[in-house]
Amino acid sequence: MLNIFKKTAIAGAMILSAGAALAEYPEKPIQVIVGYSAGGGTDVMARTAAPFIEKYLGDGASLVVKNMPGASGQIGVTEAANADPDGYTLGTFNLPGMMARTIDREAEYDRDSFTYLANVVNDPNVIVTSKASGLDTLDKLLEEAKANPLAITVGMSSLGGDDHFALIKLEKATDTEFTIVPFKGSAPARTALLGGHVAMGILNISEVAEFQDQLNVLGVATNERSQFAPDLPTFKEQGLDLVNGSMRGFIAPAGLPEDVQAKLIEAFSQLSDDQEFLDAMAATANPVEVVTGEEFKQLTSDLYDLANGVWQTTPWN
Amino acid sequence: MYSDLLHALPDVFAWTNFAAVVIGVIAGIVVGAMPGLSATMAISVLVPFTFGLEPLVALGLMAGIYNGAMYGGAIPAVLLRIPGTPAAVATTFDGYPMAQKGEGGFALQVAVVSSSIGGIASAFALMLLAPPLSKVTLLFGPSEVFWVAVFGLASIIFLLGGNPIKGLISACFGVFVSVIGSDPIYGNDRFTFGQLEMLDGINIVILLVGLYALPPVIDLLETPLKTDGVNSSKLGTEPIWKALPRMKYWKTWLRGSLLGIWIGILPGAGGSMAAFMSYNEARRTSKNPEKWGEGEPEGVAAAEVANNADTASALIPALTLGIPGTAVAAVMLGGLLVHGLQPGPMLFRDNPDIVFGFMWQFLFGAILLVLLGGSLATNSFARLLNLPRPLLGSVIIVLMLIGVYSIHGRMFDVYLMLGFGAIGWVMDRLKFPLPPVVLGLILGGFAEENLRLALRIGRGDPMVLFQNTTSLILVALTVAVVVGPTLKKRFIDSRKKA
Repeated sequence: MLNIFKKTAIAGAMILSAGAALAEYPEKPIQVIVGYSAGGGTDVMARTAAPFIEKYLGDGASLVVKNMPGASGQIGVTEAANADPDGYTLGTFNLPGMMARTIDREAEYDRDSFTYLANVVNDPNVIVTSKASGLDTLDKLLEEAKANPLAITVGMSSLGGDDHFALIKLEKATDTEFTIVPFKGSAPARTALLGGHVAMGILNISEVAEFQDQLNVLGVATNERSQFAPDLPTFKEQGLDLVNGSMRGFIAPAGLPEDVQAKLIEAFSQLSDDQEFLDAMAATANPVEVVTGEEFKQLTSDLYDLANGVWQTTPWN
Repeated sequence: MYSDLLHALPDVFAWTNFAAVVIGVIAGIVVGAMPGLSATMAISVLVPFTFGLEPLVALGLMAGIYNGAMYGGAIPAVLLRIPGTPAAVATTFDGYPMAQKGEGGFALQVAVVSSSIGGIASAFALMLLAPPLSKVTLLFGPSEVFWVAVFGLASIIFLLGGNPIKGLISACFGVFVSVIGSDPIYGNDRFTFGQLEMLDGINIVILLVGLYALPPVIDLLETPLKTDGVNSSKLGTEPIWKALPRMKYWKTWLRGSLLGIWIGILPGAGGSMAAFMSYNEARRTSKNPEKWGEGEPEGVAAAEVANNADTASALIPALTLGIPGTAVAAVMLGGLLVHGLQPGPMLFRDNPDIVFGFMWQFLFGAILLVLLGGSLATNSFARLLNLPRPLLGSVIIVLMLIGVYSIHGRMFDVYLMLGFGAIGWVMDRLKFPLPPVVLGLILGGFAEENLRLALRIGRGDPMVLFQNTTSLILVALTVAVVVGPTLKKRFIDSRKKA
């Protein structure tokens, strides 16, 4: 008898507290863990988006950005994956990097460790060639690559990143082979291209926008022309099915209460229609593409499968 | 190319940025005047604290400290025959005899004016040479950068003087530290022992603080300083406008500036070598070399002009190629990197106001030196030597701990810094030079990464390293640095026999 009473009381308390959570979330500041140092692309995205998310969550919500740089973002994303799934710890998420790290080294998280909130930025890949190479059209590039396999050197920012996957897609689609030269970051890769030390480069559109007169930009890996540089043609226009980019978004630990998850996704989904937000992102060279919830999860899963497939046949380390 | 230089000028005069230079110069003089504390140490302790500052405030502080410390070292050199910084050794030769003769005040005035002139010349060299050089750096691909790194390592080992074997061992330790962390190409973990904190490698600032700040602080606490000789009433200081007409060292100033600038650009050498060479040359060409060492003011001028003339010029290779010429330049590079300013041609393109503003700050730092150090306070700075040393040491240790913790907000880095401090202290006691460790860490990483990139570009063929003129010139320079001193010694020995 007493037992039943106890159980009822506990159940009642649980219902009450759940009700309270629904009514009040967020009742304290929400921490956003950024896996890179202040001032980097991911950090800028988080800090630019934060006030808009606060606005859409309403009720005086406040987001606090915390930088935990190190190990290519792995330290921060691990911290976010292991946090309490109460909605008060979110994290930034980079694709394909965060998934590639679960394949090429031992990571303390996997694709099921997260509640997928929203991808916010998609910085599409571009293929560029140095002026010295003379390969100033896509056709010339592919002709040369077919005639002399491995002769074209390709500068990129790292192995197992978005640049690398773009090249793998290109090689598969056109049956070609290139020699990869992985620099430490995109800036040195771009400098080597400007100096003509490598013939071709795979970079992101935000990184080459200001260099169009010093490099040949052969195409952009998007479905439609990027609003960021509308004068540059896509590969699809040129008959090549190549779509790839570097994506940055927000996740929370797996097991978020459904009502909290719904409220967060609702807030993030409003970003894509907020002109003020879009302007702020354009000013910081961040091409926006908002993908939320299940779709974002599916996107991550697809990229994982692609990376894993590549890893099984041609591991990059 | 030079229009950016003028464009950057207004920012420098923003009051926060200008105040940073003033504070930096004063702090630099204080640091330099304390035997055992050096510019490298002061700047490495400062760097972690500059995260939150505007870039020009942070850089202004550093430029000011560098200039100030190079003069500050002359104060105890003249008054106590204890060089405040390694670069002030040559200042003791004539500075101390002058102080004994009751001309200490004049010696300090000669030092501050000469330091200022050297600093101004160096800042102009940086302004004139760095922008055109930054254009040429596009010619430097992976194989050329590899050779620059090898040349830098070779010259720091062999030009530092003393014992090349010990230099080599120090450099090897630095190169080993550069290997820790993710492999630059494949990302495999090396020597990380499963620690996520080590994946990015050893942060240069942590190594610098441990290596350069801890051993001198221990020394500071250990050894009481005898200050009997300091009596500021005996300095015989007259107002600087009366002292100035007595300084007619134009030739020495010019030669010392050029020598200092050149030695600053060369990787490896640095202030102390510049000061020695300038002193020797000035004495060799002097009309009365026999008076040198007995209190010849021109000797103070020669040493002090040269040890300030390498300050800004050491940043020429650092800003254009990312390869620092001296340990101080290496620390400053660390200061640039914490603000996301990656050295190289893109720095001049993307952040002209910062990089050119930094150059102006060097110039104003050098000018302020004569105003602050010379006219106001020659006497008061001399009293610095009476500061209680245990108090100073404790304050510095606290600053080091807080600074290193604040880089990533983790205790792991603090333990790492203390570990490097212990290693640095042992090396210091065994007379192993410390600069090769720092350059080994920086240049070792450069050499490995670029060698591997070059070989990938050449698809495995090592001949890719010798395929252009720039590479071949750098190979020749490296050989000259390694073989040169030995040949010179043989030549002198054979002449002695004959």
